[in-house]
Amino acid sequence: MITTGRILLGLALLACWEWGHRVAGNLFVASPMEVVQRLREIVEDGSLWGHAASTLWITALGFAIGFFFGVLLPFLLDQSERATKAIEPAVLASMGIPKFALAPLLILWFGIGDAPKVVIIAFMTFYMIFISTFSGLRGVDHKLIVMAKIVGADPMKLARDVLWRSLQPYMFAGLKVALPRALSAAIVGEFLVADKGLGYMIEHARQMGDTTGVFTGIVVVTALVLGLNWLLERLQAKVMAWRPKDASVAH
Amino acid sequence: MHKARTVLDRVLVVAGVIALWQMASLSAGAYWVPAPWPVLKTLWAMAQSGALARHASYTFQAAAWGFLIGGLPGAVLPFILRRMPRLSAILDPYLVGGYGIPKLALAPLFILWFGIGIESKIAVVASVVFFLVFFNTTAGVRAIDPKLVQMARLVGASELLIARRVIWPSAVPFIFAGLRVSTPYAIGGAVIAELISSNRGLGYLVQLGAMNFKTVEVFAAILAITLIVIGANALVNGIERRLLRWRPANALNKDAASGGM
Amino acid sequence: MNAAAPLLEIDGLGKRFPSRDGRSMSPWVIQNLSFSVKDGEFVTIIGPSGAGKSTLLNMLAQTDAPSEGEIRFRGKPVREAGARLSPGLDCQIGYVFQDDTLLPWRTTIDNVLFPLEAQGRLDDASRARAETLMKAVGLNGFERYYPHELSGGMRKRAALIRTLVYDPPIILMDEPFGALDAQTRVQLQEDLLRLWEAGRKTILFITHDIAEAIALGDRTLVLSRAPTHIIGDHSIDIPRPRNLRDIYAVPQFAGLYETIRAQVQ
Repeated sequence: MITTGRILLGLALLACWEWGHRVAGNLFVASPMEVVQRLREIVEDGSLWGHAASTLWITALGFAIGFFFGVLLPFLLDQSERATKAIEPAVLASMGIPKFALAPLLILWFGIGDAPKVVIIAFMTFYMIFISTFSGLRGVDHKLIVMAKIVGADPMKLARDVLWRSLQPYMFAGLKVALPRALSAAIVGEFLVADKGLGYMIEHARQMGDTTGVFTGIVVVTALVLGLNWLLERLQAKVMAWRPKDASVAH
Repeated sequence: MHKARTVLDRVLVVAGVIALWQMASLSAGAYWVPAPWPVLKTLWAMAQSGALARHASYTFQAAAWGFLIGGLPGAVLPFILRRMPRLSAILDPYLVGGYGIPKLALAPLFILWFGIGIESKIAVVASVVFFLVFFNTTAGVRAIDPKLVQMARLVGASELLIARRVIWPSAVPFIFAGLRVSTPYAIGGAVIAELISSNRGLGYLVQLGAMNFKTVEVFAAILAITLIVIGANALVNGIERRLLRWRPANALNKDAASGGM
Repeated sequence: MNAAAPLLEIDGLGKRFPSRDGRSMSPWVIQNLSFSVKDGEFVTIIGPSGAGKSTLLNMLAQTDAPSEGEIRFRGKPVREAGARLSPGLDCQIGYVFQDDTLLPWRTTIDNVLFPLEAQGRLDDASRARAETLMKAVGLNGFERYYPHELSGGMRKRAALIRTLVYDPPIILMDEPFGALDAQTRVQLQEDLLRLWEAGRKTILFITHDIAEAIALGDRTLVLSRAPTHIIGDHSIDIPRPRNLRDIYAVPQFAGLYETIRAQVQ
């Protein structure tokens, strides 16, 4: 019953799309059939892979940099209560910096290559991972640490078997938010400055008045992000089989 | 004693950041990295000439309208769906998918539909805010203790009364969480849409400075946006604290979701 | 080493904490507390709530430093003045906490093996020992379960044998059975006594239940209210093995119960 409803709703949405196309015209709403056709074309001529690879590359690079510092800083801060108290408000305030608004500046600094986008993605990733690692470290059950020390765990064992495992749910919560956002940051970055990538593909099509191109690009991007979400969900379920089903870290 | 030391530490951190900035400006050259003082002067000049207010009010309008248009249905819909479990089960994957869609990536589409005026910015903001508020409110509606509802029903309360007296108060903190999380996104979304294509607004101000190669204006505009976002966050947090004084809060967790823009 | 010396001596122990603003000290939580424990002795400790029982065990376990006084293990002070704490005293002191403190991401058997793993003593013999212990408390068949899939009593058993598995000479237990229902509680007490009688470890067992203190111990110490010190030291001359389910019917029980209750207030 519910599944049928879902399928029907999906079909209805498709029908709406087609109807919108007929009412609003080709300039505003591309025809679903043409989008499929275009999708086939860019898959066949290989241009989709080129754009996607470029987007995924800057996403991965920016994400890796942001992730590294986002994990490192909380661990460093964990060593000193005083340092944490001193810089916490500054870090929180710096979150107010509009990351994308840095783009024009970064372009002035680094030119129109990948660097500005990578910096923006790294910046965004950093905050999200920082927050989840930070609250994760605070959330470690102190009694488990005491227990591990008593039974003879050395600092390495403690870090690996208690701290890291305690952090995992927070890490995943952070990852699930950060990774798709890093991808969409890459795409928005490509709206602003690029000569390749999925974002460029969409924005270029818009500037050319190629509505079918815009729609096709958005379909691809949406599918990519949703696919990524799904993958992360699966991975999390696998890695954290030890958790009771209903417990989850809100993000 | 401890408090005074913390305050001093924090002042030192701010001083350190400003000193670093100044040093960066000295070593890279004022053209690439304008020093703090000229940036502040430029910001002040922008404020005095009314340019800042003009552009900021444009951005604010886009953010506020988008906030309303997206936030209102986002806050109301979960209450309606609560009564229709089957419909909400059918809608669920689509809403989750909608939440996952990178709304900012839809900006070109909105520009295509609504032009480069304020409407496309409103659309971007509304699409972002709707899902944030919707899912937070849904979490609130789901967190209601079913025993409380059952109890109310047993003592003969009408559905309307249950909604008003049991469900609404329990959901309010969650609605607020959604609104609070959305605030920086609303402003950020409007700014990004303006960056992509606009001839007004704070995002445009940044773009304009960059196009004229006036880094000091770029810095001033970014600083202005940062201050506005911080101010808006503080405002919403203040309102929430006042209204929900009884709830314990954790500063860092609260801002967790606002790191994204 | 002096063979006649008690295994553990607590001499003039005192503890107070820094107040919240960090400038002054709180009143004494524990003051002038002394007792000693012989090798193989089962000592139960009872006291009113807020008597600093957990604080006492934390100091014995070397997770917290005393403000004054000395703790000696086998005649030697456990810590030079000003030296760092060594939690668990190099695995000589085991600690069964009030909560089970199982690592939620490890299966039951991996939790039990965790101390051996941490101490680098994991081999076939120790694995076999772990399995024997699992069987002894009826956890066989649940090796691959995660803690959240076990009942409260099973988690307690797992926590108990996690400490027994590496065989520390002294085991501290902080109200380990406090949160269990009466039936499970008696079963666990029986399990504990059976394992103890087989190995004769030294146990310091904190409880707020007078009947439990009498039923389990060779000796029961009674703590005062803060500042905590010892106000009663009772030898429990009920012969072993004891039948815990009929412990109330033992002739000595009622007298001991009354005396101790009068002291605990």
